[in-house]
Amino acid sequence: MNPVTVGLEQLADPFVLLCILIGALVGMLVGAFPGVTATMAVALASSFTLTMDPVPGLAVLLTIYVSANFGDRVPAILVNTPGTPASIATTFDGYPMAKKGLAGVALTTSAFASAIGTFAGLLLLVFAAIPLSKIALQFGPAEMFALVVFGLTMMVGVSGGKIGKGLIAGAIGLALAVIGRDPITGTERFTFGILELSDGIPFIAAIIGLFGVADVLDQMLSHRAEKYTPITQFGRWWPNRAELRQMVRPLFVGSGVGAVVGAVPAAGGDIAGIMSWAAAKKASKHPEEFGKGSIEGLTATDTASNATLGPSVTTTLALGIPGDSVMAVLIGSLIIWGIQPGPALFTNRPDLVYTIAGIMVVATVLTLVLSLVRLRGVTKLLELKPAFLWTVIIVFCMVGTFAVNNSVFDVGVMLLFGLVGLVLRRTGFPAGPVVLGLILGKLAEGNLRRALEIGGIENILTSPIAVTTLIISAAAITLPALFARVKRRKLARLNTAQQATTSLPTDSLRK
Amino acid sequence: MKNKLITIAAGAAALLLLTGCANRDAAVVDDEDYPSKAITLVVPYAAGGASDLSARTLAAAMEESLGQSIIVENRTGGAGSVGLSYLSGRPADGYSIGYLPVESVMLQYQGYDLDPAAYDVLGQIVSVPATIAVPADSPYETLQDLVDAAEANPDSITVSNSGAGSIWQAATTALNEVAGVSLKPVPFDGGAPAVTAAIGSQVDAVIAGISETAPAAADGRLRVLAIFDDEASDALPGVETAKSLGFDVSIGGWGAIGAPAGLPDSVRDALSEAVKAGVESEEFTSVINKSGNLPVYKNSSDFTTFFNAESERFGALFAE
Repeated sequence: MNPVTVGLEQLADPFVLLCILIGALVGMLVGAFPGVTATMAVALASSFTLTMDPVPGLAVLLTIYVSANFGDRVPAILVNTPGTPASIATTFDGYPMAKKGLAGVALTTSAFASAIGTFAGLLLLVFAAIPLSKIALQFGPAEMFALVVFGLTMMVGVSGGKIGKGLIAGAIGLALAVIGRDPITGTERFTFGILELSDGIPFIAAIIGLFGVADVLDQMLSHRAEKYTPITQFGRWWPNRAELRQMVRPLFVGSGVGAVVGAVPAAGGDIAGIMSWAAAKKASKHPEEFGKGSIEGLTATDTASNATLGPSVTTTLALGIPGDSVMAVLIGSLIIWGIQPGPALFTNRPDLVYTIAGIMVVATVLTLVLSLVRLRGVTKLLELKPAFLWTVIIVFCMVGTFAVNNSVFDVGVMLLFGLVGLVLRRTGFPAGPVVLGLILGKLAEGNLRRALEIGGIENILTSPIAVTTLIISAAAITLPALFARVKRRKLARLNTAQQATTSLPTDSLRK
Repeated sequence: MKNKLITIAAGAAALLLLTGCANRDAAVVDDEDYPSKAITLVVPYAAGGASDLSARTLAAAMEESLGQSIIVENRTGGAGSVGLSYLSGRPADGYSIGYLPVESVMLQYQGYDLDPAAYDVLGQIVSVPATIAVPADSPYETLQDLVDAAEANPDSITVSNSGAGSIWQAATTALNEVAGVSLKPVPFDGGAPAVTAAIGSQVDAVIAGISETAPAAADGRLRVLAIFDDEASDALPGVETAKSLGFDVSIGGWGAIGAPAGLPDSVRDALSEAVKAGVESEEFTSVINKSGNLPVYKNSSDFTTFFNAESERFGALFAE
């Protein structure tokens, strides 16, 4: 039967639709709370969805992923605080617009730009995923090893500019991945006789600890009274004709930038939003308005950060490499559901492409409607005290982790990783690369060892795919460092000539 | 802020203590009213897998004959050792039973702190014969071809399997022993990737359960050379048993129901009866047949003999 019909039929189940509705509400909420990221929400929800069938489970998780990327715009525009990192750039023009009395227009524009961006990104998923997987069967252990190494080099990307600390965090993750039984001989390594550690560190527990618990602990320790007072005057809600015309060009810019950035492993909506904002500024007839409440700037960022969603899913599922941090968490669930992301997935299950795209389309439409109807309601939530939120999150983290395996050991691991995550955060080490190292380290080792078992080192060196990928990986890790050096020299020269000021509001770039 | 942290830490500690204190009943006496409350069935693998499916389907069928509900509890990790170890520590009162996979007689030889004698086995419920398959365009047309190639090129004909120490890797060792060759096992991370590696000609052959190779054989992506069972299967038309091809190897996965050792006789009889009725139920056989595995019943005493024989066999195999 046709994979399109098979895939879409899965959505006809009312239970799946109910899951999408639940996901949309949860996603909007977590997006709207600054401090609760989409990664954290998906990590938490995944401990509950693991007991469900894959399709309804995916419906919940993917919808949270989509709708958190709508909800997070609200605090960005109204309080100048990004709800999740993906809306960092939304604050550049969203908050200035709101201060000008255009909060209503900003919220509506943002919702539509986000929806259009999501659809643009999904086109890539629908049309590129299957061709990508056609070459799938050529990916044996040697090629997979090279691909995973490429994924590991993306640590540079998720380390938020701190390359050195990012690499150290990644190395910690890799070191932790050594714990557990040897993938080829089955010998125990650092398990200390604990049966639970035979398969390695339970990574759902580790992820919930690193992202959920650590985040809450960090916020508790650094909580200050809000600097910004929420905007209460919304003005008109719909953009006028002139504003609509202004939106056209940034929509294209944003979709393009977002699709490309999204397809790059480990790069997500936060990076795409900032890059697209800068690109749209260059392309605009009114670059001077950017940062002062430009509807073009707002459209470009929100389109781009949502256009990353489809390509991120594509990279994740077709190559088995997380497209962004939410996808890193999702891979954990997929593996437990017996859906092994990687080149073979879409060869065996082409219908899954359409099921996933379908879920995301329904989720986007539903979230857009919810956004337009409930925007005013969501803004009320910004007044909730953080202490209540923290308590709820900690309880959910514990219950959720226990539910995955009925295991108290896992809860202990989660709490331990919460403390580890807190220390990392406080010392300026990003948590993303730790998770990347933990998940990809196991894959890298297993595939390398298998490749060597099958044909020795020649097995890798004689594969064109493997060799090319390894060369690209080497370039990916050395070039950014080189560029940074060249840029610093240039800047140093510029600085001596004149006092250069940067146009990016760099303060809000810091998480 | 410090106070909040302390409160949370204290709360967490209290929760850990509470769960740790789950009490264990003392002496178990013969229970005439058995079963008078719900029974827990421990499955040492994740929900949604083949073992979980077998266990859950049987649990539903057993509920009918026991007149009590059976709660399936998945305790995963450590190749099944976490759940098996948990089961052996439960009271032998019949209210804790578990799904015993073939791994329950293999893991103790691989450094896991487990003992097959810790269980009373109540009966076998399912069997998963091993099969050996090659890519559709492989030069090896028969098992004999593959063995001849392995004889000519020792240690270089690769055979994928689902993981280090798995029953399918043990099957490779068993075949090597009988044929006097050295096929090279390559452990993957699960059965599906191992089968995919063979479809993509990354390896020369794969040894996996019949439910994993049969679908790929049906649509022409794999050629199954032999089934390591006493009888051929309808799921693989035209495929002969390894024994009939001259290689006397019969090996595969199986699943059984067991309980912590020392059940009172009456409880043991009641449970054995329920297992038998469950396996023979229409509901159970149709679900298991659909999954590609074989519903097979052996009663408690026959299965105990088989269980001990398997344990000894793997001891010898892993000593290699």
